[in-house]
Amino acid sequence: MSKASAFPYPVGTQAPNAKLAELLAALVNGLGGRIGRTTTDVDVTVPVDKLETLVRGLRERSALSFDMLRNVAGADLGDEGLALKYHFYSFKHGHCLQVTVALPPHQHPHAEVPTLTGLFPAADWHEREAAEMFGITFTGHPNLKNLLLEEDLHIHPLLKAHPLQVAELKQGIEDGPAGFTF
Amino acid sequence: MIEFPLGSEMFGIWNWADAAIRIVIVVLVMTIVAMYLIYGERKIVARFQQRLGPTRTGPAGLLQSFADAVKLISKEDIRPDGADRWVFEFAPYATFIPVFMTLCVLPFAADWGVRNLPLGMFFVFAVLGLNIVGVMMAGLGSGNKFALIGGVRAAAQMISYEIPLVLSLLSVSMIAGTLDLNEFAAKQGDYPFVILQPLAFIIFVTAMLSELHRAPFDIPVAESEIVGGYFVEYSGIRWSMFMLTEYAALWSFSVFGGIVFLGGWNFPMGNEWGWGWQLALTFIKSALFIFFIFWVRSTVPRLRIDQLMTFCWKILLPLSLVQVVANGFILVYDGPYWLLSLTSGVGAILLIAIIINRAFRRRTATTSLVGAYRGAQVSAQ
Amino acid sequence: MSIWPTERTLTADEATFDTVDMTINIGPQHPATHGVFRMVLTVDGELVVDCEPYIGYLHRGLEKLTETADYRQAMGWWDRTDYLAGMCCEWAYCLAVEKLSGIQVPERAEYIRVIMAELSRINSHFMFLGAFGADVGSFGTSFVYGWRERERIYDLFEEVAGDRMFPTYFKIGGVTMDLPENFESRCRWLLDSIRQGLEDLDGLLTGNEIFVERCRNLSPLTKDRAIALGITGPILRATGLPWDVRRAEPYGIYSRLDFEIPVGRQGDVFDRYFVRLAEMYQSVRIIEQCLKEMPKGGLVCATDLPKTLRIESGECYIRTEGTKGEYGVYAMAKGGNKPYRMKLRSPSFCNLSALREMVVGNYVADAIIILGSLDIVLGEVDK
Repeated sequence: MSKASAFPYPVGTQAPNAKLAELLAALVNGLGGRIGRTTTDVDVTVPVDKLETLVRGLRERSALSFDMLRNVAGADLGDEGLALKYHFYSFKHGHCLQVTVALPPHQHPHAEVPTLTGLFPAADWHEREAAEMFGITFTGHPNLKNLLLEEDLHIHPLLKAHPLQVAELKQGIEDGPAGFTF
Repeated sequence: MIEFPLGSEMFGIWNWADAAIRIVIVVLVMTIVAMYLIYGERKIVARFQQRLGPTRTGPAGLLQSFADAVKLISKEDIRPDGADRWVFEFAPYATFIPVFMTLCVLPFAADWGVRNLPLGMFFVFAVLGLNIVGVMMAGLGSGNKFALIGGVRAAAQMISYEIPLVLSLLSVSMIAGTLDLNEFAAKQGDYPFVILQPLAFIIFVTAMLSELHRAPFDIPVAESEIVGGYFVEYSGIRWSMFMLTEYAALWSFSVFGGIVFLGGWNFPMGNEWGWGWQLALTFIKSALFIFFIFWVRSTVPRLRIDQLMTFCWKILLPLSLVQVVANGFILVYDGPYWLLSLTSGVGAILLIAIIINRAFRRRTATTSLVGAYRGAQVSAQ
Repeated sequence: MSIWPTERTLTADEATFDTVDMTINIGPQHPATHGVFRMVLTVDGELVVDCEPYIGYLHRGLEKLTETADYRQAMGWWDRTDYLAGMCCEWAYCLAVEKLSGIQVPERAEYIRVIMAELSRINSHFMFLGAFGADVGSFGTSFVYGWRERERIYDLFEEVAGDRMFPTYFKIGGVTMDLPENFESRCRWLLDSIRQGLEDLDGLLTGNEIFVERCRNLSPLTKDRAIALGITGPILRATGLPWDVRRAEPYGIYSRLDFEIPVGRQGDVFDRYFVRLAEMYQSVRIIEQCLKEMPKGGLVCATDLPKTLRIESGECYIRTEGTKGEYGVYAMAKGGNKPYRMKLRSPSFCNLSALREMVVGNYVADAIIILGSLDIVLGEVDK
């Protein structure tokens, strides 16, 4: 046990960091992405096929060095299709970044996204969760089974098209008619 | 020698009748004792844990064990599909019988047991070793993996700890010069053997905890890992047989330890004050052991199986061997008895010192952090 | 029906005696899984060679339910994620909604929130200490020691919020009601008793040679590996990295408060236990500061709250230091009075995903302890 020490890294804030946006510009523009901002973070939107290159760059450039994958959140944007939000954090600089990958509707329900498990082992369960909740296929994922839902239940509850009652019924009666019958 | 009140011949009908009456008395007392040990354990452990324990069944919860017994007997006796039928069903009896046989040779008062054997101590070792058979039967026959692991762990542990246990008792019987348990007690009129052999006593208590599957050696029945171990599949009356066995073994070991190390019915004033006091002495001494076991159980966590084996083979076994050898030298050359106390006492102090020293060094190394935080907190006020 | 694998019975007669691995199913109903969690251990003798965790037994569809409820109604569901520290979860949810809608929280409410969240943290850590002691094998004594203090904390929660476990005391824009009049004296009494309880548990567990022997050097973790696996909270700090969201990305009024971040040395099970123990002293310290500095009167909730909260658009990722690690809430609003999408980044979930790596190569008995040292709450893992 060592004596408690003060936080040795730069203190971050839960607000978008303008300096980070400048640092990102070179990398993101080269990949055809665009830099925006959310209420709390800088947001980078890239096409699906550039995701791996971008993440590799984020991880390896020493000015960025994003070494932790905090979160992977899927979202069903309705007419715009699905989207995946990755949140990265850099211990060295105290930066946090959101990466958005848009999955246009024509891909659905077979949207394919390259897995990040090779770069970030933490992505494993996050991707499994997104896969079962939204029906996204993460190509190259070692074990893309259902995580929270039953193993043979192939419904995607967090899609907006998926009403609650149907899900509740389907858990009980696999082949029965959806919806209430009374 | 025993005097038979109802007939003096060895194998006559009166002899059998006498033995039967004694066995019935012992079985009845054992059952009552086992029930109140369960009650006592619940009460004592509850007090250690700042609770009350059973209070509702009868005055101060005294009838709790009877209520439990009624519940257990009326429960369904379930035999799992994957179980080996006869092995599964006979396992509780196979564990119970050795414990019961041990009780048959213990002198509870001067010359009073079911039977007193000239090789009583040897009989106790031999019969207690059989306990493993029942445990293994339960473990293998249940068709359950937790039970299997529990049974195998129990076998490994009991066989290992049998050796220091036997060696520690051997070193005492070298001094007593007998294996007769009644004579053992009779020789301790002036002082109990624990004064002569403190190291053997410590080893005996440790090995006893292990043989009884009591904390910190409750690895075969570890509730947080294998959920009860070898008796996980048992229910109702068979499960209560296991419970009865456990507490009967606890009691018989305690009485046995009391006879060998604490002077049994004899010390102090056993010969002078008559059989009532002798019986009371036996129960008080066993109660001391049992209270110690409950105390330990409510305080310490469980060892891991490799740590358990290391402690047995690397610490207890060499120490008990050294004890036996030292006793041998002293007794052969007619050394004074205080030399026995001295050697054994030095060994015991060494053992305790090693353990305390380890713990203490560890403690100063680990608590310095909390100390730092406590300091910070005081300065902030 | 036999418990032996078929390979075994087939090869039993052959000259080469062959051994096969056995699988043990631990859970969903097992005293060591702290809820409904299941892991299948493949063991070679007593040694674990593989471990597959199965979760989802407590999946209640938190995120879907949140999408169907009003911004204020939905908070009731978030209480029930980390059910040992409900108010920490409420806080994260409220922060996310406040961030999206731009609602400001009054000063006094911020202090009240810190006090309640830190009490919840102490509560959760007491549960950890008790349950961890039971995992290591002490017969419930540590459990009851921890329970005594938790009972007192819950009593205080009841006095303040009207409920013990799921108080729904925080609300968007502040807290639902002001503290009772005798709160300060009650709280100081409680802190004294907490400190006494900590001393007791410290003596019972840290002072126990067997406990230390069991936990020391068990499944050590390096900083880099912990970061790669997405581990946060006390387990990350046990590896020696003083990273705490309260310091690294401060929220609420934590940037004003003075406290230290306890760290371990090698990230083994003992360090994880010890970091939590030391952290509780820091929480007590934080609460004492808050009691001293808190404005004595004033509002406890924003006054400009609309009757029905509607948020036009926006997204945010709020991270707070939950009791188990980084408790993050990703929120997206697209008009209307309901959240469009809310995602919980639960620390237990991420920590648990590293279980396999930690457990493999240890004994079965140690696997239980390692699982205990992760301090999972299944409500949070399964959402």
